[in-house]
Amino acid sequence: MKKTKTKPQISLLSLSLSLSLSESKMKEEAMEAILRNTVQNSLRHFMYKNAIFFSEFLCAEFPSEANLQLLASCYLQDNRAQCAYHILKGTQMAQSRYLFALSCFQMDLLNEAEAALCPANEPIAEVPNGGAGHYLLGLVYRYTDRRTNAVHHFKQALSLDPLLWTAYEELCILGAAEEAAAVFGEGAAICIQKQYLHHTFASHNSHVSEEDRNLTSSRNLVSAEEVSPRQLKQLSGNNVREVPGSCQGMTTSVRGAGQPPNGVYHLSLYNTPSPIATQFSAAAPPPLCRNLQPNGSNTSTAAADSSPRSTINSTIQAPRRKFVDEGKLRKISGRLFSDSGPRRSTRLAAEAGANAGTNAASVAGNGTNNSSKYLGSSKLSSAAFRSVTVRKVPNWANENFDEGMRNEVFDDCRSNIVSGAGALPSVDNKALDQEGATMPCSGVLLNNSKVLTGTAEILSLLRLFGEGYRLSCMYRCQDALEVYSKLPHKHYNTGWVLSQVGKAYFELVDYLEADRAFSLARRVSPYSLEGMDVYSTVLYHLKEGMKLSYLARELISTDRLAPQSWCAIGNCYSLQKDHETALKNFQRAVQLDSKFAYAHTLCAHEYVALEEFENGIRSYQSALRIDSRHYNAWYGLGMVYLRQEKFEFAEHHFRTACRINPSSSIIMSYLGTALHALKRNSEALEMMERAILADRKNPLPMYQKAKILESLESFDEALEVLEELKEYAPRESSVYALMGMIYKRLNMNDKAMLHFGLALDLKPSATDVATIKAAMEKLHLPDELAEDS
Amino acid sequence: MATESSEGEEEGKLTGGSPVLSEDDDLREKGKKASWSVSSWKSGNGVSSLRDDSLETYWQSDGAQPHFVNVHFEKKVKLQLVVLYVDYKLDESYTPSKVSVRAGDGFHSLKEIRSVELVEPTGWVYISLSGNDPRETFVNTFMLQIAVLSNHLNGRDTHVRQIKVYGPRPNPIPCQRFQFTSPEFNTYAFVR
Repeated sequence: MKKTKTKPQISLLSLSLSLSLSESKMKEEAMEAILRNTVQNSLRHFMYKNAIFFSEFLCAEFPSEANLQLLASCYLQDNRAQCAYHILKGTQMAQSRYLFALSCFQMDLLNEAEAALCPANEPIAEVPNGGAGHYLLGLVYRYTDRRTNAVHHFKQALSLDPLLWTAYEELCILGAAEEAAAVFGEGAAICIQKQYLHHTFASHNSHVSEEDRNLTSSRNLVSAEEVSPRQLKQLSGNNVREVPGSCQGMTTSVRGAGQPPNGVYHLSLYNTPSPIATQFSAAAPPPLCRNLQPNGSNTSTAAADSSPRSTINSTIQAPRRKFVDEGKLRKISGRLFSDSGPRRSTRLAAEAGANAGTNAASVAGNGTNNSSKYLGSSKLSSAAFRSVTVRKVPNWANENFDEGMRNEVFDDCRSNIVSGAGALPSVDNKALDQEGATMPCSGVLLNNSKVLTGTAEILSLLRLFGEGYRLSCMYRCQDALEVYSKLPHKHYNTGWVLSQVGKAYFELVDYLEADRAFSLARRVSPYSLEGMDVYSTVLYHLKEGMKLSYLARELISTDRLAPQSWCAIGNCYSLQKDHETALKNFQRAVQLDSKFAYAHTLCAHEYVALEEFENGIRSYQSALRIDSRHYNAWYGLGMVYLRQEKFEFAEHHFRTACRINPSSSIIMSYLGTALHALKRNSEALEMMERAILADRKNPLPMYQKAKILESLESFDEALEVLEELKEYAPRESSVYALMGMIYKRLNMNDKAMLHFGLALDLKPSATDVATIKAAMEKLHLPDELAEDS
Repeated sequence: MATESSEGEEEGKLTGGSPVLSEDDDLREKGKKASWSVSSWKSGNGVSSLRDDSLETYWQSDGAQPHFVNVHFEKKVKLQLVVLYVDYKLDESYTPSKVSVRAGDGFHSLKEIRSVELVEPTGWVYISLSGNDPRETFVNTFMLQIAVLSNHLNGRDTHVRQIKVYGPRPNPIPCQRFQFTSPEFNTYAFVR
C-alpha cells in the first residue's frame, strides 16, 4: 500500500505540533518543507521554470543560505550560470562556494572561481566538496596556464574519489597521468569499498556525542561516480567538464584528509539569522552518511555500528541530489524513533537518529578552518536540532515507505545523472538516500562481498579505458589500440571507445582504418559528437567530399551548438578549396567553445592557406594556450616559419612537436627539411632516416633524403633512393622530375629526357610543367650556356 | 625582366566579356599585396574604385592619353592573367579600346608583353599573359602596367570598373620545388 508523500508529512506535523514548539513555528517549518519538496519535485521532472519560481518564493519567504543554494542549483540546472553567480556572490559556506565557483567557471570568470574554491586569505582552507572541488579547481588552473597546480589538484581529486574519470582524462591531456593500473588499482579499490562498506550507523541516536557529530560525509556520491563517468560520456557532450561529478567531497577521511563533512553546508545555516524553524528544516535532513574521520571515537563508534548488517544499498545514489526531500527526511527521522517496523527501518532509524544530531554539529568536530566559523552556532543549534528531531515520531515503519523511497531515489539518481549541470548536492539528501539502506541497487541488496567484486570489476575495466586513453595522449597509438582491444565487446562497441580507436588510427596516419572505426562509432551512437571533428579531418584527408558533407549535415542537425559540427562543415569547404568560407565556419566553432583547441588550429590552417600568416600564427598560439600538447599547432607554426624562411624558428617548433608526438614520421621529415635549410645536412639526413623507420609507408622522408643527397652532390645515392621510391609511389610526378634534374646535372641527357617525359605524363601542376619544359629545353643547349633551372 | 613573347608584339581582338568572374583553382589573385596607382583620375573616381570589388564604382581618368594603371609588387611574382571589367553599354565612349600590358622592374624598364583591342566589351575581359611556349606560361616581374591607349568612339578619358591580376597558386608545401601529384605523397604531405 503506497502512501503519498503528503500524508506522512501531515502526520509528522501533527505530532510535532503536539510537542513544545509553537504552532507558528511549525507552520513555517511545514511551509518551508513543502516548498523545498515542490522545488525538488520540479527539478526531478526537469520543470525548471516551476522549480525556479518556487525557489525564489522560498528564498523570499525563508531567506537562508541553504535556500540560496537550492535556488542557485535550479539556475545552474537551467543553464543560467549568471543568475547563480549573482545570488551566490559573497557566500561563504563550502557548498555555496562550490556552486559559485562552478557558475564563475561557466561564465569564464576563472579568477573568481579560483578565489571561491581557494580563498587567498585562507591558504589552508579546505577545497569544498572534496574530489569535485579539486577537479573544478584543477580545471581553473589548467585554463589559466598553471599546469603544475592543475596536475596537483586533479591528482588530489582522484585520490579522494578514484571514480572521477574526467580528472584522469585531464591528467592524460596534460601529459601527467600515471599508469592506469596504479590509479585504478588496489588503493582505489580500497577507497571505494570503504566508502560503501562504512556505512557506519553511528550510535544509537539519542546520544549525539560530540564525536558522533563528526560522522558525516556524503559518500553518497560514490555511487554517483560509478554511474556517472560512462553515462556522462555518452550523455553530455560538451558539459562533461563543467560537471565534475558534483560530488560532494567523497570521503577523504579514508586517506585521513580532513574534509568538512557535507553536513557543514547545511550547518552554516546556523550562521544566518533565521528562525529556528528554518534552521531546523534546513538542517533537518540529516546527512546520513558517515564521515570516516580518523577521529578516535568516531571510528570506534562507526566500527561498532557498521556491523555486517550494512546493507549498502545506497550505491546508485543520485550523485547530484539537488535537494533534500524534506518529506523524506521527516519520514526517516520519524523512523528513527519508531520501535516497530522491519529490520531495515530500525536500522534506518538508528542511523537517522545518530546522524541527525551528528550532522548538525558535525562541523564542530572537524578541525578545519571552514567549520570553525560555524562551530559556535552549530553546537547550539545542534542541540536544538537534536531535540527537534527526536521529537518527530511518525510511526509508519512500513515497507511501503521503503519501496517508495527506493523508487524515488532511483529516479533521482537517474535524473541527476542525466541532468548534467552541477546540481546542488545536498548532503542530506544523499545521506538520506544512502541511509535509506533501503535503497537497493537494482533491487539487490548489496553486501560486502558484492561490493568487493563489483568494485573490482569496474576498476578492471577502468584500468583498460584509462591506460588506453593515456597511451593515446602520449601518441603511443599502437599500444593504445592494443589496450582497447582487450575490452569486452559490449564496451568496445560503444561510441566513446570506437571514437578513441578512430583517433588512434588517425594519429597513425591510417586514414582508412580510422574511417572504419569512426563510421562504426556513428552507427553505434549516432547522436554523439565526441571525436567527430577528427572524423571530419579523416574524411578531408581521404578527399571524401560526399561523406564529409553528409557527416557535416548530420552533425549540424544533431547539435547546432557543438563546435565539432562547425568544424566538420569547415572541413567540407576547405576540401573544396573555399578557404574563406571554411575559415568563417571554424571561427563559428571557436565562438561556440573558445576552449576547443582544435577549432583554433583549423582556423589557423585556413589563414595559412589564405596566406594571412600573422593571423595564422595568432590562432596557432591560441590553440597552444588551451592545450600546450596540441602538437598540430606546433607543427602548424613550424610550417609557417618554414614558408617565411625563418628556419631556426621552424626547427624549434618542429622539434617541440616531435617531442610531444615522437612517432609521427611527418613531423620528423619536416624537421629534417628545416635542418637541411639550415645547412645542417648530416642532422637532416639522420632525421630522415628516423622518419623512414618510424613509418615505412611514408614516402616523403625518402624523397627529402634524395633531395638532400642531391644538394650534397651525392647523385648516385640520391638516384638509388629515388629508384626505391618509384616502387612505393610509381605515379608521383615529382619523383621523375627530380630524377630528371639529377640526370641533367650528370649530363646523362637521354635519361634526363626520359624522366622529364615521364614526369610530364603524370600531369603535374602548370608551374611544374613550365619548370620541367624549361629544363628540357636547356638539355639541348651546350653546357656553358645552360643555366640551372 | 619580363620575358618577351617569342613572336614579337601580338595584336588580338577581344569581344564580349563574361558577366561572371570565374576563378581557376590553379590561380591566385595577386593584387592584394601590391601597390596600385593611376596616371590621373577624376575626384571621387580614383584608384580605390578599381579594387573595391564593386562593379558600380569605376576609375575615371582625367588627362591626356595614354592612361596607366600601375601595379607594384613587393617581390617578383609570377603572373598569368589580367582581368578587366569594362562595360560598353554603361560607359560608351569611356570604354577602353586598345589596351597594352607591360611588365618590367620599374617604370624605366617596362616592356610590352601583350596588347589587345576590345570591341564593345560588356563584362569581364580576360587578358592572358602567357606566351605560346610552355616556358612562358608566366611572367615573372616586379611591376605591371596596364595602359589604355584609346577608347571607343575616340573618347579622351576612360572608365574601368575593376581589375584583377592572377598568378599560379604557390606550392602548398613549403621548400618544395615540385608539387605532389600522387595520393601516396599527398596523404603524408601534411598534418591537419
